[in-house]
Amino acid sequence: MATRLLVLEDDDGLRASLRMVLEDEGYDVVEASDAELALTEVADPGVDLMLVDLMLGGMDGFSFIQRARPQTDAPIVVISARDDVRDIVAALEAGADDYVTKPFLVDEVKARLRALLRRPSIAGSQTGDEVDVFVLDSQGGPLVFDRGAAVLARGSEEIHLTNTEYRLLSVLAENAGRVLSRSLLLEHVWERGFFGDERIVDVHVRRLRKKLEADPASPDVVVTVRGLGYRLDAR
Amino acid sequence: MTASRRGRGLRSSVTYAFAFGALVLSTVLALGTYFSARHFLLEQRERTALRQAFTDSALVRDSLLTSGAEVSDVLGAISPPAGAVIYVHRHGEWYSSALDTAGPEMTTEVQPLVTSGSVGIGWTDATDPHAVVVGIPLPAVDAQYYEVSVAEELDRTLWTLALALAVCAGLTTVAGAVLGRGASRRVLTPLKEVTTAAIKLSSGDLTTRLRSTDDPDLAALVGSFNHMVDALHARIEQDARFAADVAHELRTPVTTLTTSLSLLQQSTDLSPRSARAVQLMTEELERFRRALEDLLTLGRLDAGVHDGELSTTGVRELVRQALKVADSDVVVVDTGGPDPLVEIDRPQLLRVLTNLFRNADLHGGGLTSVRVVDLGDVVDVHVEDRGPGVAAADRARIFERFARAGGQKVGTGSGLGLSIVEQTVRNHGGDVWCADREGGGAAFIVRLPTVSGRS
Repeated sequence: MATRLLVLEDDDGLRASLRMVLEDEGYDVVEASDAELALTEVADPGVDLMLVDLMLGGMDGFSFIQRARPQTDAPIVVISARDDVRDIVAALEAGADDYVTKPFLVDEVKARLRALLRRPSIAGSQTGDEVDVFVLDSQGGPLVFDRGAAVLARGSEEIHLTNTEYRLLSVLAENAGRVLSRSLLLEHVWERGFFGDERIVDVHVRRLRKKLEADPASPDVVVTVRGLGYRLDAR
Repeated sequence: MTASRRGRGLRSSVTYAFAFGALVLSTVLALGTYFSARHFLLEQRERTALRQAFTDSALVRDSLLTSGAEVSDVLGAISPPAGAVIYVHRHGEWYSSALDTAGPEMTTEVQPLVTSGSVGIGWTDATDPHAVVVGIPLPAVDAQYYEVSVAEELDRTLWTLALALAVCAGLTTVAGAVLGRGASRRVLTPLKEVTTAAIKLSSGDLTTRLRSTDDPDLAALVGSFNHMVDALHARIEQDARFAADVAHELRTPVTTLTTSLSLLQQSTDLSPRSARAVQLMTEELERFRRALEDLLTLGRLDAGVHDGELSTTGVRELVRQALKVADSDVVVVDTGGPDPLVEIDRPQLLRVLTNLFRNADLHGGGLTSVRVVDLGDVVDVHVEDRGPGVAAADRARIFERFARAGGQKVGTGSGLGLSIVEQTVRNHGGDVWCADREGGGAAFIVRLPTVSGRS
């Protein structure tokens, strides 16, 4: 079945042109001109991927993301005419996975969407000795991350991750014990180039910590290495 | 005259004016004091001399009357007061208590009066110091009595007084100058604040305002100055907002255009003419999009929005990455030593370098080399090309918005690339300029403060 892609954009021209281009890419495009309509699509029958404009009439993009996020893990890419850093960070905090600012090239959007749908590559697959289950020690008790089954659990309690959070944790776990720079994570998780915004990484690490850490303010699973990046330690 | 006045500062002028005023005033006062004191003292001295002379002349007359003695004997018998000499003129003979013969000369002043039968009083210069001469006719004994008393203490008093007054006048003049200096400083303090504020404003700090004051003389200046700055600030913001708003409004339509055009580009059933038209549109739209992005970037830089965090980065590493982004095979010319560290917004500085590389490719016949020169406190990045170079007259102008160097073909860049470079570098406390490259071509030099230079 084709990937269901929701385009939430109140500009008719842009929505229509995006629809055509993305349909050519093989997506099953659902259009929504306002957030209420989009929410009903998210609830039923559900979507796999979302392109969301932030400035909308009625409910704005931030509120939409906040309300849609608990209902779905589907990646959300913000398309914004705003380039104020605070807006972008707010959208990411609300649950967005990536963003592009207008005026964008549609190829850029296609690349973002493809990257978010892709499962993370398994680094060890070439050598054949891949590890798929990681045990992460934490104050709140050991966490078991089964990458193959995409399950993270602490004891019997399963911790829910969005696709992007899962991808980020996978890359960190694959390289357990090594410091990964923000730009490296950006390249591997988001497939962003050199001009990528490293705040995307920071916001996602924060989101991930809220889910895994006993105390997100003093993390012991995903640790910050000042000036260098992030590191995850696994058994 | 005008030249010297123009050359003199307001403070010096005020100081001179105060000093001059003090000099005139103190001189007038000193002269007035001196002359009235002198007048009083002279009068007093004359009265004393007169009183003394009457007493002495009565004594002489009585002696002459009673005994019928000779004048010289009488004069020998009475002792005149210290510093005084008595002369008596009788029957054509001059007698003196000091046995001198200066009588006729000393008393010339008052002789006519005395001869005519009245008392005469005057001053003579014949002695040093001056002397007061009193002449009294003594008709009873057919003689004229003269008493000459030297006013030694009077001259000394007047001299001391004159000296004291002159010193006072001098001191007053100096005090006037000091007061003038102080007053002008006090008056100029607000002006100095205005100057400082104006300098800050002209260097771009539009938040500068003058402190409000209770001084009614200054309140108007402070009020109108601050009002002017507010108006200026509002105007600049309005202009900036207008440009940003225009650019902002164009974002969505441009996105729609590029998106739709990408569909047309991919369609295979276009006639060659249509395909060519689509190609032209695509190229122009790309330029338009780039210009719009540059305009938005510049708007953000102008507004002083700090997009990202500053990170400590090695300059050579940054240049290498920029070359990789620009897909260039030019290598960094290394001068050895450790990679100089700078604290920068990486994406912004990458854009600066890629803009310069692009500029070299578009206008400079291609990038030839990139050199990193560590100067300790600062580090220079030289971006060099093999083009015709930039005429000296154009070197400052090319950093202006939409400026183009002479003979450059229109329609190559957005005209904003170098403005973005300049604004970004300035925001980082650095500088950028254009120079000749040795052996022809242009060199753009970006200078950034290093971490070691900053601490």
